[in-house]
Amino acid sequence: MRAVTGSILQPSRSCARPRRIARLFAGLGLAALAGCAVPPPKDPDALAEYREANDPYEPLNRKMYDLSMTLDKYSLRPVAKAYVWAVPYRVRQSLGNLVQTMNEPVVFFNDVGAGKSRRAGDAFVRWCINMVAGVGGLIDVAKYAGYPHHDNDAGLTLATWGVPSGPYLFMPMMGPSSFRDGAGYGIDVGLSPWNYVPRGYGLLTFNWAYNIMGTINGRADHLDALDQLQKDALDPYATIRSAYQQQRKAQTDAIRNDHRATVPDWYN
Amino acid sequence: MKTALSRRHTLGLAFAAAMLWGTAAARATPADDARAFINTFGQQMVAIVNSNRSLSEKKSAFQPLLENNVDIDSIGRTCLGRYWRVATPEQRTRFLSLFHQVVVNSITDQIGDYRGVTFTIGRVTPSGTDQAVDTVINRPEQPAVNAQWIVSFGSGRPMVMDVVAEGPRLSVTTQQDYASFLSQHNGSIDALLHALERKVAAHNAPAQAH
Repeated sequence: MRAVTGSILQPSRSCARPRRIARLFAGLGLAALAGCAVPPPKDPDALAEYREANDPYEPLNRKMYDLSMTLDKYSLRPVAKAYVWAVPYRVRQSLGNLVQTMNEPVVFFNDVGAGKSRRAGDAFVRWCINMVAGVGGLIDVAKYAGYPHHDNDAGLTLATWGVPSGPYLFMPMMGPSSFRDGAGYGIDVGLSPWNYVPRGYGLLTFNWAYNIMGTINGRADHLDALDQLQKDALDPYATIRSAYQQQRKAQTDAIRNDHRATVPDWYN
Repeated sequence: MKTALSRRHTLGLAFAAAMLWGTAAARATPADDARAFINTFGQQMVAIVNSNRSLSEKKSAFQPLLENNVDIDSIGRTCLGRYWRVATPEQRTRFLSLFHQVVVNSITDQIGDYRGVTFTIGRVTPSGTDQAVDTVINRPEQPAVNAQWIVSFGSGRPMVMDVVAEGPRLSVTTQQDYASFLSQHNGSIDALLHALERKVAAHNAPAQAH
């Protein structure tokens, strides 16, 4: 018995090495981040601003932001502009619906995780209605049936559990995030059924197409807003940081404050 | 006699209660006032947006409407944050004058170019001493935007004090933008004013070329 327990709890020799290497890399990563951290200012007003921004790794984050914006300017933005030019709005909207419906299982699992059964029910019903009546998610029929889309992801679920966001992070080509939301992204990848499609199936190709199209479609939705932000803000990096942090807080509050009864309206 | 008096008393009390109830019902609540105010303000904005005027003409039409319905001075003071206290009176005046133009430019950029903009008003909820009016703004061929308007009655008449668009509060985002800029320029308010002047000039340049 002990031997069995031991084999589960203790890493075998073959797995110990990759783990040690992973730990070493994690340690180096943290050391690199710690090296980039800005010491808190002494002035009380400046200190309050520093705490509000919650961005001790700002120099590194700004480099990542500049890199992402340069790459975006020459890759994703022109592609998204061409996509808007070539594809009619209704088609883009349908593809957006498809991406949203395909992500509904992730929303469902997170609603369950957040302990919001009514929201989980809404996500489940949305998935069922849109996959059948909405032709695989191309038409958002559920919205018209009284089940509009709501956001949820593992970062938000962790937030509703009281996990603090941790410092702000700007991830290259992925945009604004935080320690908690970055970890949440990893959990969401694990929660998505599409990542368990066996190799050799046509669905694997669909998965790639879905991810690439989702990225382009998502970027196309924010073309005007991001262009305007770059044009109007004095410091677009700080503006994006503030908008992201406020939006995450608002989304967490929306989940926490959803006290609707579990039983759907049609039983009343 | 005693019975008659008490009956008269009861009748009187009931009548007074009915009168008070009626007055209370007739008096509009702050939520109703805020809803009516945003409805009127929104209709006026949408009428300008959906008209066939040029972008620069729309901008000129927005200006008086925003001045009358949005407390731009108060929002500007919030956006400058702690630097408002250390700014000289001359810097404050210059900042507010520029901030008025920044607000008008921002609104013109966001909705000026569209035709067929519509909006619907949703719930009205108290937000501290103010009222928060939920709206959904629909622009053609664009995703719908959820915007919440914070309406204050502090000055005796309803005024928009802030806008919350999809979560972020406009005044907080702008305040963080300015604070970050100022911290990178050693807290120089003049540097901020120069940067705002450049933004306003760059915005006005294509409009003048029309």
